[in-house]
Amino acid sequence: MTTDDARQLSFEEARRYLLDRARERGVSLEVFASRGTETTVRAFGGDVAEFKLSSRQGVGLRALVGGAWGYAYSENLSRGALDRALASAVENAELVAPEGHARLGAWAEPPEMDLHGEGLSGVTVERKVQAALKLEEAARTGDARVVSVPYSAYSDGESETAVANTEGLDRAFRELHAYQYVAPLVSEGGQNKMKMEFEFTREFEELDPTRTALEATRAATALLGARPAPSGAFPAVIDRRCMADFLAVFSGMFSAKMAQEGKSPLAGREGEAAFHELVTLVDDATLARGQNSRPFDVEGFPSAPLTLVEGGVLRGFLHNTETASRAGVESTGHASRYGYRGTVGVAPTNLFLKPGAGTREALLRDLGTGLLLTDVQGAHAGANPITGEFSLQAEGFWVENGEVAYPLDVFTVAGNILDVLRDVRAVGADLEFTPGGTGAPSVLIGSIDVGGQ
Amino acid sequence: MLDRNLVAEVLDVARSGGATFAELFMEDTVTTNLHLLGGNVKDAGSGNLYGAGLRLLYGTKVVYAYTNDCTPDGLMEVARTLARAQGSTGEVDARGAGGLDFRRLDAKPLWTIRDHPTGVSKREKLEIARRAHGAAQGEHVRTTDVMYLDVAQRILVANTEGDWSEDERVRSRLYVTVVADDGTRRSTGMSGPGAAMGREFFDGDLPERTGAEAKRIALAMLPAGYAPAGKMPVVIGNAFGGVIFHEACGHILETTAVAKKASVFADKLGERIANECVSAVDDGTIPGAWGSINVDDEATPSERTVLIEKGVLKSFMVDRLGELQTGYRRTGSGRRQDYTFAPTSRMRNTFILEGERTPEELIADVKFGLYARTMGGGSVTPGTGDYNFTVNEGYLIRDGEICEPVRGAALVGNGAQDLMNIVGVANDLDRGQGMCGSQSGSIPTDVGQPHILISEITVGGRA
Repeated sequence: MTTDDARQLSFEEARRYLLDRARERGVSLEVFASRGTETTVRAFGGDVAEFKLSSRQGVGLRALVGGAWGYAYSENLSRGALDRALASAVENAELVAPEGHARLGAWAEPPEMDLHGEGLSGVTVERKVQAALKLEEAARTGDARVVSVPYSAYSDGESETAVANTEGLDRAFRELHAYQYVAPLVSEGGQNKMKMEFEFTREFEELDPTRTALEATRAATALLGARPAPSGAFPAVIDRRCMADFLAVFSGMFSAKMAQEGKSPLAGREGEAAFHELVTLVDDATLARGQNSRPFDVEGFPSAPLTLVEGGVLRGFLHNTETASRAGVESTGHASRYGYRGTVGVAPTNLFLKPGAGTREALLRDLGTGLLLTDVQGAHAGANPITGEFSLQAEGFWVENGEVAYPLDVFTVAGNILDVLRDVRAVGADLEFTPGGTGAPSVLIGSIDVGGQ
Repeated sequence: MLDRNLVAEVLDVARSGGATFAELFMEDTVTTNLHLLGGNVKDAGSGNLYGAGLRLLYGTKVVYAYTNDCTPDGLMEVARTLARAQGSTGEVDARGAGGLDFRRLDAKPLWTIRDHPTGVSKREKLEIARRAHGAAQGEHVRTTDVMYLDVAQRILVANTEGDWSEDERVRSRLYVTVVADDGTRRSTGMSGPGAAMGREFFDGDLPERTGAEAKRIALAMLPAGYAPAGKMPVVIGNAFGGVIFHEACGHILETTAVAKKASVFADKLGERIANECVSAVDDGTIPGAWGSINVDDEATPSERTVLIEKGVLKSFMVDRLGELQTGYRRTGSGRRQDYTFAPTSRMRNTFILEGERTPEELIADVKFGLYARTMGGGSVTPGTGDYNFTVNEGYLIRDGEICEPVRGAALVGNGAQDLMNIVGVANDLDRGQGMCGSQSGSIPTDVGQPHILISEITVGGRA
């Protein structure tokens, strides 16, 4: 630890040092750097069950040599370790087969965005612990039918993300998040049900533990008294959260990377009326408080709203600079990577279905008698993003004459997402975003296959 | 990796809130990964994980923090914040800053590394992957994926008991996936040997054997029809066949499950839980084995732990927290993926010991049943040991003979029940390598067994 080679550089110094060394060696280099701190407090039975504090930083290098990318990352920010990372990235690039569309650039200026708000410096550890305990207690004591609260946590964090390259690009942004989730287990007449409620904000003061806990308890108890589901094809209202989950599971079909690899059912269908005209899908990384909002993507490319489907017509795909070059278009600013350790791919940010006019009550009235689908599970095995097919474990309610009649025992729903989006009859006004950052209003569809008793 | 006085000061500040135990874990880990798809290098990456985790125990309550700012300021800041987590006003330990007397506990190395991966060129590593790719080629082979991976993890563990341990873990692995296609049917074969060794692991024809094994499985399964469904006797193959024992029995012998009574074996020490022909160990001391360690991630030396002897439950796998919770002696089983996780009780190399029969004799005992030669993935319900595993390479057994291959077979059962139903154990013990995921992350472990005969398992196939 005494030699200069082993001294840890600061976050900013590390970036500059790497780019200087790359320029000296005549290497084209991109540096993706991030650092963040996070506090998580889990509560159980009135006590703190887990307290975890994390602070992590690192640099991800991507060297462009002979048309191919070579990756390396380091959490050790000493000059010695950074020199090794740079040498490795170059050596790795020399091994990789070139694909011809890799490029670096000093992309256009990103939009101004404030994702950091007031910051967390005024929020003490003690207040965070109190917030977690209050959340768990409010859920535990909110209803006599609550048996226990297996999942209950408060978490917050601040982070900084920077992208720089040897073409002169160097930009960074800071963000803050605070969230809480709680899942009470309720029991009545031998039936056990559990439901999770989640709240995400960019300001500690906006979280309301009592409200979140009571909503979770309400949602869980609503599932009690379930009766067997019928089997057959029924008209259905897909609740906004469930609709958003469907979009998230199948969002890969809008990825240009998946399309170019022949893994999207929408490949080559731009300009076609692929869905019902009520369907307009937008991905907007610049939403004021979106979970996945950011001024630029992991290549430093500026964010801008993108309409993927307009009035049912497929307008385009999500691109990074490499897929865009291959397709002969501009990047849409959707390069993604799993932190500095990952490789660059394509992913949506805040993807959402544009809301319509009606309330959920109006949708249920239009439905008359049929299914209200509130949740689907097991998408990692039961949904195929390459074909759009799904067969999933589901949760929901039976609706009669426009009124929710009773909850249903576990059943399955099956179909194809392309058919679901073609079969839309009405789109609600109740847009909401899920914890993952995908948004949708509730939607009335003509028919879905239900597997019940 | 760190100065002793600094570590002593950090630990003292960390327990100033009344913690009964404080521990610092630091690592500096370098990795290489190469991905060959159809013979072309698709990805080549290198990594350096670097950070420290600080764990405090208040009795049996855990608080944990990690950082990769391992400067004195960074570590002290984490220690101060963590000390406040319990909101307690306990007294500062009387020994004070710098007063900890670390006794060097470095466990003696159980084996030595001949060719450290940092001294081997990428081109040489790539050549290993290419040889495996080459051996996997042939008629009907559609695609070949080869992953090459090496890791060198340097660690330091120090705690307020005065333990101080430094070590390095070196591991290498090759993983080949072959997809075969004859125009009408498709099948997949995999082989992924690994070891706690350097370049020497690939000596001889290991790369060729790995590619050839993946191809062999894919081609063997190409003509397979669907497996029948129903209850039947099953012979499970050796080596990776031990994955069922690992998942459905091993995890509920960890004190993480035992202490919560979330294990059917919780109060069964000294009792018979398996057929008499079953003995099983978790052995962290096998030189060069994938799951072997000189010392665990909380400074306890590794050991060979006898879990089951002639059907009788002898020991659990116990970490420091588990020892506090249950009173059972620590077994060197405290492990974690990296500095971002607090350790929990985990497996190392877990396997059923050899019996006296031959695999052929076991198969000859079966009138109609399934031979699950190589296993795939699966899932287990925590606590109960109910499991569901797919068979990668399966054959029907008729009148004591191995007959036609079958695809899509799933074994549905219960770990505890299976232990009683193991009626035959062969003499061909071998181990297979896996990454085991649990509360403290993903860690390398060996599973293993000789061929075993289970009198009855529900096979899920197509009716």
